Amino acid sequence: MKRRLRVDLRLQVAFAVLVILFGIVRAHDTTMIQAATFGALYAIVAIGLSLLLGNVNLISIGQAGFFAIGAYSVAYLTASASWPPGVSPGMQFALATVAGALVSGVLGLALGIISLRFAGPYLAMATLAFGAIVVGLLRYAPAFGGVSGISNIPFPQFGPVALSGPNAYWYAWFLVAIAAGSTTALLRSRIGRAFEAIRNDPLAAEVAGIPVRRYTIGVFAFAGVLAGLAGTFYASFLGLVVPDAVGVNVSIDVLLMVILGGSGTVSGAILGALIIAFSNLYGHSYENLRPILYGVAVIAVAIALPHGLVGLLWNRPNARTGSAREEDAAAGPVALPAAAPPPTAPWLEVRGISKRFGGLLAVNDVSFALQNGTITALIGPNGAGKTTLFNAICGVVRSDQGEVLIGGKNVSGRQPHQIASLGAARSFQNARLFGDMTVAENIAIGAFASTRVDARDIAAVAAEFSVGHLRDTPARDLAFGDRRLVELARAVSGRPGLLLLDEPAAGLNASERERLRRDIIGLRERGMTVLIIEHDMQLVMDISDRVIVLEFGSLIADGPPREVQSNPAVIEAYLGAAS
Amino acid sequence: MAGLTVGSTYALVALGIHIILRATRAINFAQGDFVVLGGLFALSFVSLLHVSIWLALIGSTILGFGLGVLYERFILRAAARVSEGAVMIASIGTVYVLLYGHALIWGNEPQPLPAFSTVQTLQIAGATVAVQSIWVMGLLAAMLAALYVFFERTLYGKAIRAAANDPVGARLSGINVNRARSISTAISIALAAFAGTIVGPITLVGGSNGVTITVKGFVGAILGGLASPIGCTVGGLLVGLIETFLGSRFAHDLVDPLVYGILLIVLLVRPQGIFGSKRIARD
Repeated sequence: MKRRLRVDLRLQVAFAVLVILFGIVRAHDTTMIQAATFGALYAIVAIGLSLLLGNVNLISIGQAGFFAIGAYSVAYLTASASWPPGVSPGMQFALATVAGALVSGVLGLALGIISLRFAGPYLAMATLAFGAIVVGLLRYAPAFGGVSGISNIPFPQFGPVALSGPNAYWYAWFLVAIAAGSTTALLRSRIGRAFEAIRNDPLAAEVAGIPVRRYTIGVFAFAGVLAGLAGTFYASFLGLVVPDAVGVNVSIDVLLMVILGGSGTVSGAILGALIIAFSNLYGHSYENLRPILYGVAVIAVAIALPHGLVGLLWNRPNARTGSAREEDAAAGPVALPAAAPPPTAPWLEVRGISKRFGGLLAVNDVSFALQNGTITALIGPNGAGKTTLFNAICGVVRSDQGEVLIGGKNVSGRQPHQIASLGAARSFQNARLFGDMTVAENIAIGAFASTRVDARDIAAVAAEFSVGHLRDTPARDLAFGDRRLVELARAVSGRPGLLLLDEPAAGLNASERERLRRDIIGLRERGMTVLIIEHDMQLVMDISDRVIVLEFGSLIADGPPREVQSNPAVIEAYLGAAS
Repeated sequence: MAGLTVGSTYALVALGIHIILRATRAINFAQGDFVVLGGLFALSFVSLLHVSIWLALIGSTILGFGLGVLYERFILRAAARVSEGAVMIASIGTVYVLLYGHALIWGNEPQPLPAFSTVQTLQIAGATVAVQSIWVMGLLAAMLAALYVFFERTLYGKAIRAAANDPVGARLSGINVNRARSISTAISIALAAFAGTIVGPITLVGGSNGVTITVKGFVGAILGGLASPIGCTVGGLLVGLIETFLGSRFAHDLVDPLVYGILLIVLLVRPQGIFGSKRIARD
């Protein structure tokens, strides 16, 4: 991820130099300048789509819809309506540009909200439909000239300066610079790291405290604004806009550009746009052959280069160094951050929680409150509703009845990231790490909701869980036991007050389990309140201050380990069957 | 009747999308362009080899089957090794290859295909019915029956369904999953070619509306239920009826936006479709 950002930035600088030189040297070559200007407009749309596709893993085949809205805003306001009256044409253009970008942004928000409902092919089709609807309505609308569109759109004139010829070139690339700069800044911020987490595993990202929905909608709106912005200048640059020129094929073209150049990077989007724009210039005599070649190229890239042409530069398999292991030793023992200060109320209280899936009552009227700074085990046979209860506590599933209080605050109906930001962290039964991110980045995501954690704390957490030497290893390359440790480290790094662990010992060998035992006891010593689902009875009896037993969704026993162990109902339901 | 005729294309496209989705877990965006290509195959059979439209139908369907085998072997299978997203992207790349490829070979203009019979209309219970529409419906019914028998009544068809539902389990039971995917895709593309030929005499063949056909077929699949073959068929026919109805009420240019609007609404309100019960997970 870091490597990609670094290569991307260098390539962007290279493109900037190239664009400036080209603009100076070829200023009088009308054909070339025009092609490069179109290339710039495509690049702006492509940058937005690249962010969407490569960074939050959402596809859109509807970007031309936003492009059309931008183009028609300028066309209608400056040519048809000449609005607002009495101001200079340059001012009209500026206002129309803002209007086009705004309308695109609002529709982007709407499409973003829709995108939360489904992903993959469904989203592809929904966005394709969006673009087709926009074009269809434009074809129909008499106010916008129907099929013949709007023509005689004036060149924007600012005093003596008209945005045509070389000036248009500079303006268009200035827009690219804005798009590229803002996107790059976004990707290099902590939000960019959150995007990477969302792309890898939206659920784990949400539970780690990232507002996945808000970010997803935001990216859609941002990509919409960029496409709309490109459209605004397209209209006045060409002087004419017709519905079929901003149709579904443009959306597909832009998608192909991004795939070809490399999704997830700004430079890939620019490269793809330039390739298509300039091949249009040279391919006039092969009108049908050119798109066939695009098609073949895209198929080849999809199969052989998942990160596009730009990916060739950063996606080399490089040797992972183990040198960080010595750093660990040199840094010496650093104390793990202590838990957030305990609230006066219990960290966790559940009151009468019930959850039904169809005919199955998974959790039935369960109530308990944890005592702060203790370890409580939640046990029960498979299918007893333990994980469902966890999900209800974290807000991953909404309970049908009852309420959950975190530190005394009622969190019913809140989203998982909001609950996480109150100081609740969890691990998953099947260690859901962000595979493409390094161990250090995974741990850092755990502290996303917390502003009190810095890089040194992350290093300390990594060292504490003996994964410091793996800091730069991508999580997908980890061995099973290390995955568990990293997930635990991620859950702890945000200094949660409440820690929910879902079968942390499953699949661990004896020595790893012993480690885990000590780690969990250590967390209690730091003041964390732990609720742990576990099937390993020895571990449960060993570390727990209290044991809660679920059977068929109902709470059947609750007390100190020894007492629960000798409870006849429990022995019958659970221990009896096990021993 | 006109609605059902148009709808039969969408029904077969929806079924084709369904079959490939089951086999590869990806949507084939090129499905509609294979429909166009199938019609053009039939055209070439008729105009170059001077065979009857019936032989052209058989030839086009067989060619579609062969093309499907190649499509799966050299494009979909390779992309599937990368990701499901790559399969979708590769199928979008295929749209361009087919769309501009057939324009290169057959030209940009749609052309007529000979009718299945010389009688144009029939009087049934006082109403005038286009014979061509009866042929389309009859051929659709025959194809659906054949598909039903293959997938539900033959061991090989069952094996293909097993391979789609649970590739690992199927592999352990000795089913060649790669071949099953290959045959699924081939059947799907054969359906597309078949659809392009049977409606060719009415709608003309060729032209650049492959993507539109794909999307309308998908609207049908979503409307009826992408997970259900019956749902796909009924949904596709419904889209044809809705489209024809809207066309009689509203301006021509409004019809497509309205049909796509249905897609968005169904996706939001009942994503599993009329016949579906499977939840669509956001994965």
